[in-house]
Formats: sequence, C-alpha cells, structure tokens
Amino acid sequence: MADEVRNDLKYTDTHEWLKLTGNAAKVGITDHAQSELTDIVFVELPDVGKEVTKGDELCVVESVKSVSEIYAPISGKIVKINNKLEDTPETVNESPYDDGWLVELEIKDKTEIDNLLDAESYKKTI
Amino acid sequence: MLDKCFVEILNYSNCIHPQGKIMVKRSPLYDLQKKIGARFTEFAGFEMPILYTSIKDEHLAVRKLVGLFDVSHMSNVWITGEDAEKLISLVTVEDASRIEDKKSQYTAILRDDGTVIDDTIFMHLGDKYMMIPNAGMDETVTKWINKKAKENNICATAKNVSEDYVILAIQGPKSRDTLQKFTKTDLKTVGFFGCQYANIAGVNCIISHTGYTGELGFELQITPPEKAEDLFYKILDAGKEFGIKPIGLGARDTLRLEKGFILAGNEFKGGRTPLEALMSWTINWDHEFIGKDALLKQKEHGDYERLTSLECIDKGIPRHGCEIQKDGKKIGKVTSGTLSPCLNKGIAMGYAHPDFREKDSILDVIVRDKPIKAKVVKPPFVPKDWAQQH
Repeated sequence: MADEVRNDLKYTDTHEWLKLTGNAAKVGITDHAQSELTDIVFVELPDVGKEVTKGDELCVVESVKSVSEIYAPISGKIVKINNKLEDTPETVNESPYDDGWLVELEIKDKTEIDNLLDAESYKKTI
Repeated sequence: MLDKCFVEILNYSNCIHPQGKIMVKRSPLYDLQKKIGARFTEFAGFEMPILYTSIKDEHLAVRKLVGLFDVSHMSNVWITGEDAEKLISLVTVEDASRIEDKKSQYTAILRDDGTVIDDTIFMHLGDKYMMIPNAGMDETVTKWINKKAKENNICATAKNVSEDYVILAIQGPKSRDTLQKFTKTDLKTVGFFGCQYANIAGVNCIISHTGYTGELGFELQITPPEKAEDLFYKILDAGKEFGIKPIGLGARDTLRLEKGFILAGNEFKGGRTPLEALMSWTINWDHEFIGKDALLKQKEHGDYERLTSLECIDKGIPRHGCEIQKDGKKIGKVTSGTLSPCLNKGIAMGYAHPDFREKDSILDVIVRDKPIKAKVVKPPFVPKDWAQQH
C-alpha cells in the first residue's frame, strides 16, 4: 500500500510534516515514517513554552525496538503538545496527519518555510 | 529520524573480514523471508528478519497462538568420539552423564576465571551430542572445546556444522497442534527438553521440545538447508487455522526478556560468571569443570553484583546502557530493556549489588537524563498463565 502524502502540508526530508495556519505550525511525522517505525509505543513530548531552533530535537518517538528523534523542521516556540499521545501513542500510527500530531509551534522566522518540501518533492524522497 | 537505532538487537560486533570488510551472513531462508515481507536487521554478523508486520502483533501471536521463527543464525556443533560425554562435562557446568539419551540440557561454557564464554543447549543423541552455541560463537566455542580436549587427552572432538543446518522454532500454545499434522511421532511423548530424530513432512530432522519464548514450543534442526524452505511454507500453511505468524528477531527478544531469559551478547558482555547471571541453577557442583575453582571462590566471598529485574512504575522504556541509580547514585547499568508488549510497561535487566536488589526496592533508570522509577521484581515479568488471563 502506498504511503499517503497530503497536498496541503509541507514536509522535510527527515519525514516530518507541517500544517501552517497563520502564525502557527502543527508538526507530526508522515505516513511513510509511521509505517517504517511500526508500533509506536511511547512518545516523549517537550514542555509547552520551550523555544526550539530548526534542527533541534523536538521530541522522541519509540517503537518496541527503536528510538527515533524527531527534529524541529523550523524554529519557534512550542505552544501546544498532543497530550493524548501519553496514553495512546499508537494514534501516531493510526492517524499520522490528524489525531496523531505531535506539537504546535509559533513560527519564529517565516522565511524558513521556503526551504521545506511540498508534497510532490517529498513524494520523490520516499 | 529514520536512522532508527535498533538499540537492543545490535549490540554484537560485526564479523570483520580479514581484508577489513564487514562480512554479513544470511540465512538460507533469506529470499523466502524477503518475499513474504520481512524487514531485516544485522545481528551477530547475520542479516536476519527483525519483523514481518509488527513486533507487538508477532509477540502476542506467540503468547496466545503460534509463531514460526528462523533461528539459523544460532550455531550447530557436533561433539563426537568415545569420550564425548567426558568432554562436555569438562567444558560445561553440567555433568553430562546425568543427561539421558534423547534429552537436552541448557548450560554454560566457562573460561578458567569462571566467566561465561557462551550459554548453550546440548542434545544427547545416541553416541553423540549436538551443541547449539549462540550466533557468531561457532568458531570460538569449537576451538575452545577442541583445545581443552587436547590439553586433557580426551578422545572427542567438536565440529562446527553451523552452515549445514537451518534451525526453525515453532513456539506458542498451538505449536504442538501445528507440527503434529506432519509427523507420526506423537509429540506429546517428546517431553520438556526432550530431543530426537524425527520425520516432519518428509524431512528428516532433529526435533527438541525447547525454545526461548517461555511458551510451549519446539525447535527443528534441518539438514541439508535446501530442505527447509518447503517445510517453512508447509508449517505456515498448517498453522493458518490457529493464526500462525512468521516471527522476527524483534519479538524473539521481547518474548525472552518478558520471561527473564538472558541474551549472551547483552548479559555476559564484559565477562560475567554464572553466579552473577543468576545461572546457579544450571551448575552441577558434583563434578569437575573448567571455571569451578573460580566460582567456588566467588561463592565463598559472596560480595558480587547479580542480575536484577526491574519493572517500570513511571512511563518510559529502559534501553541497553541506561544507568541504574539509587538516590541519585549510579549502582549499575541496564543490559537489556524494552517495552513489554504483554504488560505495556517498561521492563529491564541489569547488574546490581545485593544491597540494592531486594524485591520491591525502588530504583531509578535514567532515560535521556530523566529518572524513571522502577521496582525490583522476581522474574519472569510475565507469568505462565498470562495468555489464559488475557
């Protein structure tokens, strides 16, 4: 089954996605990433209010046998985290683009967005 | 982020080719596994399936139904000669004269200083014995045994035949029902740790009532390897009605850890004795064996670290190498850790001094600089009747 790539999102070549709404960006991992990682059993989320620079570790996603760092696709301040993942980390597998989002960032530098991939370019990387 | 580190599975060092190239071996069933969707990892110099669909699903299939593993990365060594029994008694902690024909035994091979070279099963098959050392240990164990035979004028030899065999493990409550379809041998007569020659679906092999999952299960030693492919498919087909799944090394590791079984590359790393690794129960003290004097001294002294089992209270997954602390002070390191698919909790093993390992003591495992509270428990983490309760 082909991995879903949504047209209304921005992507990184490290398999994170961003959904931009005004000055905010929701971040998650792509369908391809969740299917490569298989059973996600633990998500370690950052604290709300934390400032991150593009490329910093944003959170950690663990499957039974692997530990993967998720990097901040852009710089910004963490304004929301998906607390539901503490009890149901498998949501990242089940709904990577919707209920399985990880954090919401307040965008610091909009020009960083220009460097992200669109859906077509991301498809070529997977 | 997809540079996933399979933290636990990859602790073995690679096989380095004399020219400096890394030499990775494959199971004779590699192509078959690729065809049916396996994802591979390197383990102890072998490229083996880590999972087919999901470690969690595969794990639960073995606990509740049945699973089929290719464990051909494990080694096969024949011990033959008129003094074969004497040689095994010298190089392992077991007195082989106690092990009747058609019985197998789990034991350890020690250095002179009492530390473990490898843990292994040996099977008594008529006038010879087959030993199953760990993956990548075939040459080390064979050379060691032959050296000791020579030094002690024992008329027996070890022969590494690892490449001549495929090893399949069929594990889970429905393993016997699955295999029984293929053989006239009444598998109920093959008792726990029993072993014998048998014909399974027209293939002559050695069958043993053994495994590494803590469930009812059997292992098949198949030679020549070409005969295994057809049998692999046949077993999957016969097990369909019970919900059989092919199982990768990922679930093999979580299944063994839930039962508190040790993994050589993890728990013996750096030189541990069987007393430290809680293998005292395997030692037969009433015979002479290599390493015995060192063990007796250690036993008398008493003050040594012992393998300790931890069940996490806080959320978080302990991994190999995580520090274990008591009141902020380092007291040990995790040798194996995972999320337990049955308990849905972090579980771990590591070495700790007796002062800190009393049952129900609370310790911290440091995961990414944060302490995760964990309780000292007595293994197994998952009891025998777990599948009936869930």
